[in-house]
Amino acid sequence: MADSFTLPLRPLREQNDRPDTLPVEISQINKQWGSFRDVNEEVLRAKIAEEEKRNGALQQEEDEDSGGQETGDIDMTERREQLFKRRNDITQFAVQSHMETMFALDFISLLLSKHAPRQAETSMSPFLKQVAPLGSLDSELVNPPPKPESAMKDIATVSRGWRIQNFNSASSKLLSAATRLEGEIKSETRYWNEVLAIKDKGWKVCRLPREKQALGVQYGFIEATPVFRDRGLASLRRAHDGSLILDKGLIPSGARHVRVRVRQGSQIFESFKPHRTGSNDAESIEHRILQARDSVFEEELFHELVREARAMASFGVTTRQDLIRIPAFDDVELLLDIVEADTDSIPTEQNSAHDDSQLADGLAHSIRILLAFAHRQNLRRRTQVPRPLTTNKRLTPEYHLLRPALAYLQHLSHVRWLESFFHDIFSVLRSSGLEMPEWTSNTFASWKVAQNPSSLVTLEALVEKFLRPIESVFNGSLLTSPGSFAVTIRTNLSSPPFGTNYDVSLKLSTISDLKSPGRLGLKDEVEAAISHLLLLDVVSSISSKELPAGQNGPEEDISKNRRWNPVYPHLGELLLPHVNPEKHKKMKITLSRHELSLTTYIVRSIDGIGRGTREQRSHNAEAHTCKFPKPPVGTPGAQEHSSIMDFVVAEASDAHS
Amino acid sequence: MHELLLFASVPVHQHHELLQQLAGLTAMQPRHAIERRLIFKAYRKPGLITGRVGGSQDLQQSGDLQRVNKMLNGSMFYTQVVGPVSEKELGPASTSMSTSVPAPDPDTPMAGTDESKPPAPVPNAAVPDGEASAYDYEQQPWRLEFRDIPEAATRSAITTRVMASAALPRGDIVPSMNAWGYGFVTEYLVEGDIFIHNDIVIFLHRVLHYPSSDNEPREPRRNLTALKDMEPLEKTGSYVLQASITVQDGTNQETMKTASQHLFGLREQLKSAVRLEQADRLSLDTRAK
Repeated sequence: MADSFTLPLRPLREQNDRPDTLPVEISQINKQWGSFRDVNEEVLRAKIAEEEKRNGALQQEEDEDSGGQETGDIDMTERREQLFKRRNDITQFAVQSHMETMFALDFISLLLSKHAPRQAETSMSPFLKQVAPLGSLDSELVNPPPKPESAMKDIATVSRGWRIQNFNSASSKLLSAATRLEGEIKSETRYWNEVLAIKDKGWKVCRLPREKQALGVQYGFIEATPVFRDRGLASLRRAHDGSLILDKGLIPSGARHVRVRVRQGSQIFESFKPHRTGSNDAESIEHRILQARDSVFEEELFHELVREARAMASFGVTTRQDLIRIPAFDDVELLLDIVEADTDSIPTEQNSAHDDSQLADGLAHSIRILLAFAHRQNLRRRTQVPRPLTTNKRLTPEYHLLRPALAYLQHLSHVRWLESFFHDIFSVLRSSGLEMPEWTSNTFASWKVAQNPSSLVTLEALVEKFLRPIESVFNGSLLTSPGSFAVTIRTNLSSPPFGTNYDVSLKLSTISDLKSPGRLGLKDEVEAAISHLLLLDVVSSISSKELPAGQNGPEEDISKNRRWNPVYPHLGELLLPHVNPEKHKKMKITLSRHELSLTTYIVRSIDGIGRGTREQRSHNAEAHTCKFPKPPVGTPGAQEHSSIMDFVVAEASDAHS
Repeated sequence: MHELLLFASVPVHQHHELLQQLAGLTAMQPRHAIERRLIFKAYRKPGLITGRVGGSQDLQQSGDLQRVNKMLNGSMFYTQVVGPVSEKELGPASTSMSTSVPAPDPDTPMAGTDESKPPAPVPNAAVPDGEASAYDYEQQPWRLEFRDIPEAATRSAITTRVMASAALPRGDIVPSMNAWGYGFVTEYLVEGDIFIHNDIVIFLHRVLHYPSSDNEPREPRRNLTALKDMEPLEKTGSYVLQASITVQDGTNQETMKTASQHLFGLREQLKSAVRLEQADRLSLDTRAK
């Protein structure tokens, strides 16, 4: 009886409280019973009857059942007791099964906690967690049941295959690693060999300051401006095959150099191209380092040139973005720019063989030498004991690169001018038969200082001289001894007073009131001063000339020592006195760079020294003129006197007769 | 002027290495320097107003007089008179240098730069080598160097002190110094190498004493002893590295800060070689008690 009694353990299905909506119901009816169209009374009656019939059968059954139950003599209380008991049994059973499940869960969790502690921990009971540490239980297979022979064989085969496969892959991996290492060793060896080769050649190899694990080579100039000093360091990277790569960062790698051009009129002469050092192997690292060094030097050079050119605006120097234009002297203009080494301008080829590119070459060399010298000066300055620290910043002055070169050119032009002037005027004087002593020139006298070539210090002293004012001295002596003159040309562009000036000193004893003009700035003034001096010299040499005694007797007593008397030496005027006051003879000498002319005429002044309006030329006596250098024979001005002294003597005897 | 200083002790075995390191750091050859240093002590001249005379007149004492009095009667200091000398002048050059004296630097000097030239003009430079050039005391140039006691209670880890230098006449300096109220105490020699690193003067040097004799002279020596016969003050022969920077205006906080930052920068750069640190203030006390 207990077996038949069951209680539903499943929860009661919840009745849907909400009745179905009408359309749903209608559709349900339609599906179950067919369309409403077929519904009529008969059908409904039949249906009701059927229902009633079935209900009646059920009722009958129930009646039969209840009749049987009631027949059992179990009363109500006993039944209830039984019910409670059963229910208790059920509850106990459920609790027990729950406990067993939990134990099983804990057990499995503890077992698993050995291998997956985190996961197993979530399913463990707090009690177990307290009592047993994680992973304290492990399982092991003990006495496994013997496997069939075929299975064993399979396993052995599979494991062997597996192992072989693994060995294969391991060996191939090792081999590839070995080859890779071998390649690495090769490239590393090559890298270090090249680094050592660079070091052996004397380059400074060091660690990069910002990138500690990389090597760098220092090729720049320590004494350069900080910007360029820092650029003189490039890292030595290793290419894949171990060759060295010179990594200069963002600096363009192309070689550049400062080009000097000299424009003379319409012609342009270009300086030499700096020849490639070690160009036999254009790709060698040594070559690349050299090129980098040259480039950094050239760029610094140009930077400093521009800096100096800006300060030289007062000399007419103009700077464009990449071009410095310097008017040097006369029609010569210097153009400096920085160009890529590969650019071959066509005019270069035409003019490179020309001699006049010497000037451009010389300038190009000198600015480089001067920059190197400036570097040395920087070192000297840097290693002096520094001055106390103050708030005002010390400015670095511009280097003297262009100024000395420009001073030299300017000086040279002045010297050449003076030389040509002396040459001209002395040849004029010589053509007149005067025996002018030679003039001597000591050009660039300030550079010709005795030096000891062995000492290293003189190397710098040599360049230092170039920076000082340039001096040239011209000396000459005159016809009338002890007469002499000296012209000193001084050019100084480094410190005020800028420019060129002449120091002219004269000495002529016969003219007492002669004073040296001292410092002159203009060529015209110098020309005038020298011409004047030589005129005075000619005048005094004529006046010192003993004239031959006249043949005719009457004035014998006077003509004993007849001379041309220098009445106005500064004007070049001489007078030959005559017994007859009407017959004084006057000679006027003019001397210029190109011509010496003597004119004589009779003056009728009483004392013979009248000038200007009071001076009256005798009309009957035509003025006699003699010019040197002699005009060519056949021209109207042809003259019979071959030298000035002949003329002087002849004129004197003319006057006498 | 102010002087900011850091010091380090350099054992003798590290000396050569450090010389090379400093040469690399400063990118210059060391400049060897030998200096005679004479110590003078100020003394109070007798006959000066030493205290207050009378009562009420003090009130009228002018400020100028007070200042002069303070100057004359204030604290007294030792001063140094420094005279550079060349190695040639120190006596006969011997071929066998003693171990304590460093051999001349084997590095070839940079071509064209006369770094090895002694800093001071040497009067007898024309005398050829080998022949011991006689030391001419009458031509010895001198420089007066005054150093105050380092400033106290500065937070910075740098020794800071007031300093002043002045050129003195050549030759016998004692009469002039006596006239100024200084008396000769003793003298010693400093031998070392100078490097310049931007604004910092690095002087790696050591103090040498004259060989002790029974009668210590009462005036500066007129003849010098050869360098190898000198005895280092520190018996092990170790050197002192002194990094100094001078500041024109010590009251300007900004320049002082810049200067100390430069020194700290140097300290960082030399950290792996030597430890530059502040000196004990009282050991640099120049006051005469």
